[in-house]
Amino acid sequence: MLQHFCQWLYDSSVGTGIRESIWVFPIIETIHVLAITLLVGTIAILDLRLLGWALKREPVSRVASGVLPLTWAGFAVMFVSGFLLFWSEAAKSYGNPAFRLKLLLLALVGLNPLIFHFTIYRSVGDWNERIVTPLRARLAAVFSLTLWGGIICAGRAIAYFQK
Amino acid sequence: MSLLQLFQWLGHTSVGVFMQQSTYAFAVVEMIHLLSLTVLGGVILLVDLRIFGLGVKSQTADTLAQQLNPFLLGSLVVSAISGILLLSEEPIKCYYNPAFRAKMLCLVLAVAFYFFIQQRLSGGYAKWAGAVSLLLWLCVGLAGRAIGFI
Repeated sequence: MLQHFCQWLYDSSVGTGIRESIWVFPIIETIHVLAITLLVGTIAILDLRLLGWALKREPVSRVASGVLPLTWAGFAVMFVSGFLLFWSEAAKSYGNPAFRLKLLLLALVGLNPLIFHFTIYRSVGDWNERIVTPLRARLAAVFSLTLWGGIICAGRAIAYFQK
Repeated sequence: MSLLQLFQWLGHTSVGVFMQQSTYAFAVVEMIHLLSLTVLGGVILLVDLRIFGLGVKSQTADTLAQQLNPFLLGSLVVSAISGILLLSEEPIKCYYNPAFRAKMLCLVLAVAFYFFIQQRLSGGYAKWAGAVSLLLWLCVGLAGRAIGFI
């Protein structure tokens, strides 16, 4: 079922067009690689603040409200460019272990801020100015950095497994 | 020693030979290079976009740059070391690769501009400086990606 859907995307005119064009695929891929800095590079600064390593004098909530709009902009660029890349390679990506790992890690990295936001971040007023934040906030930062790092590595590995 | 001889020497060092013979070293070092450029790009974006009123608005671009400097320097060092390792895998090919040459030129300009020029420009010139910096770093990224295409 899912495999059929991937094959259908792969065979569609858009998918075939991106795949067979000399320029379109490399251009989308370049955007996808460079926009990593906007998505992961910005969220990493917030994680480093939660760990008490960066922007120590700045309240956590101010770093979050400053950084997150950029992170979301990065997410939009990554999602659109990533989906277009997938569209053109869907049938090959389906069985690709690196691609599967990346999707799994993406699901986990999406859960992390949801849990963070609805639990420990609710009491941010109590620890906003502290250099070292509560353990659960630091754990969320470690998860975020680890998962995003894993996503970047798995994403790079997709090309190594693509046949 | 000419630049070409230096590149030839790099390819013959034990590190270069290791990078050429190992199955996984290149892929692993490339991932490290990607991870460090993520942090590097994140800092550059936060500092330069702040000049345009985006991002962490409670601080000036100068204070942000100052506070994030250790991360910028750290990621630059990791990028440079991993970059030299990647280069040692096929130095002669890179030497003649126009994208590699363009990247090195843009990198020198971007680093010099960021550390020596940008922070001295203020007032009406600050936005121009931010735009030039973003453009130079973008060129480093574009040329860097293009090395693999050429």
